[in-house]
Amino acid sequence: MLGSLQLLQPTTVDEASGALRDFAERGKIYAGGAEMLLLMRHGFLQSEILVDVKKIERLHRIARENGTLSVGACVTHHTLELNPLVREHAASFAAAESQVANVRVRNQGTLGGNLCFNDPHSDPGTVLLIHNSTVTLGSQRGERQLPLKDFFVDVYETALEPDEVMLDVQIPALPSGMMSTYLRLHRFQRPTLGVAAAVKMNRGTIAESRLAVGCIGPKCQRLPELETKITGTQLDEAKRIVAEQKNHLRQRLQPVDDLLGSADYKLYMTGILLGDALEQAASPSFPLDGGRLG
Amino acid sequence: MKPQPTFNLSLTINGNPWSGEVPVEESLLEFLRFRLRLTGTKRSCESEVCGACTVLVDNRPVSSCNYLAFEAHERSVLSIEGIAQGDKLDPLQEAFIRNIGAQCGYCTPGQIMAAKSLLMENPSPTREQIAKWLAGNICRCGAYGAIAQSILEAAQEYRKREV
Repeated sequence: MLGSLQLLQPTTVDEASGALRDFAERGKIYAGGAEMLLLMRHGFLQSEILVDVKKIERLHRIARENGTLSVGACVTHHTLELNPLVREHAASFAAAESQVANVRVRNQGTLGGNLCFNDPHSDPGTVLLIHNSTVTLGSQRGERQLPLKDFFVDVYETALEPDEVMLDVQIPALPSGMMSTYLRLHRFQRPTLGVAAAVKMNRGTIAESRLAVGCIGPKCQRLPELETKITGTQLDEAKRIVAEQKNHLRQRLQPVDDLLGSADYKLYMTGILLGDALEQAASPSFPLDGGRLG
Repeated sequence: MKPQPTFNLSLTINGNPWSGEVPVEESLLEFLRFRLRLTGTKRSCESEVCGACTVLVDNRPVSSCNYLAFEAHERSVLSIEGIAQGDKLDPLQEAFIRNIGAQCGYCTPGQIMAAKSLLMENPSPTREQIAKWLAGNICRCGAYGAIAQSILEAAQEYRKREV
């Protein structure tokens, strides 16, 4: 059971930010509650006042403008998985959303909540990184935009200031001709490993690529060095290069041992899944539906 | 604006209107089981993992253990007690009985409510789609085969009724 709580339902960002400032440690942003209520019940998080941001209209908006999709922070995973605009604009993101936890969590949990919680064992962040996504944060002091890669700081830690609310996520379209995929390794509802890849092929060689890995270390990350290394190579060569990068990946991703597997196992599987993802992004008929069980 | 410790809740539960004041921290599960004595909805993992507490809010499944009751304000909640029409069981209930889609039965209300929401969204699911939708409904006895079969048969029955 949860301890006593009080509720505040602001309708503007200004009000929400003011409440967060005034109540400081006593108040917390509350959106879907999928993760937050669990933490509170298990005693990992304490809060007296829920600042429910779902009454702020802007946080529910999905719109596309000039090739960039903007998704409000309170849009649920289930909406993202089914929304036709999202599926057309960022197919692998929609596919990743369809794999988040289970159907009940997807109904309740929001994109903004997921990103602000920054649990390493999560799907959406990894695939948003290959879109070079940015987030808009708002407070009484104004709005600011931040690349998603800089928003994620460390395990459960983000660049969100105590009086700030995430407003929306901007997802630019991939460059024309670039195909993407998201693959995950999972034993149960939380992913052990998530890999996103996007490639643009030119006569059998990789003209441009984007790679991101999540879940195995403190935060999801792009792999810019590896992206450069495989540019200009053929797919088989690229897969060989990726498989040989264990030391680089260990240094960059800092995998940890946990109940889902050892760091070595996760690193090994990262090499495999990166190869699978490259292959699938390069040839969408490659038969892997969403990931591997492991 | 002042934070409030209680919420003036109005909702429909299994078709019946209900209004009253509830503490902010009261979960929908506590609301159903302790306030309304609707004990068909089961408490189990309390972590949104097992699905035993599944109920529908505006026809969408939620884990009532981790869903605050006030969130159901001006919405319609459907629990296992509300799916039969009088003495006539829901086709899902009939199919679960016919196929013995349970052993101990603790997870069954959640399984049936999850299946109900699936059939609302997709009246002709394949066995694979059933498995994906119900991946978050755990049956520790392992009655999954019979559960899937029950849902396939109930789907057929639903479709027949609509013709």
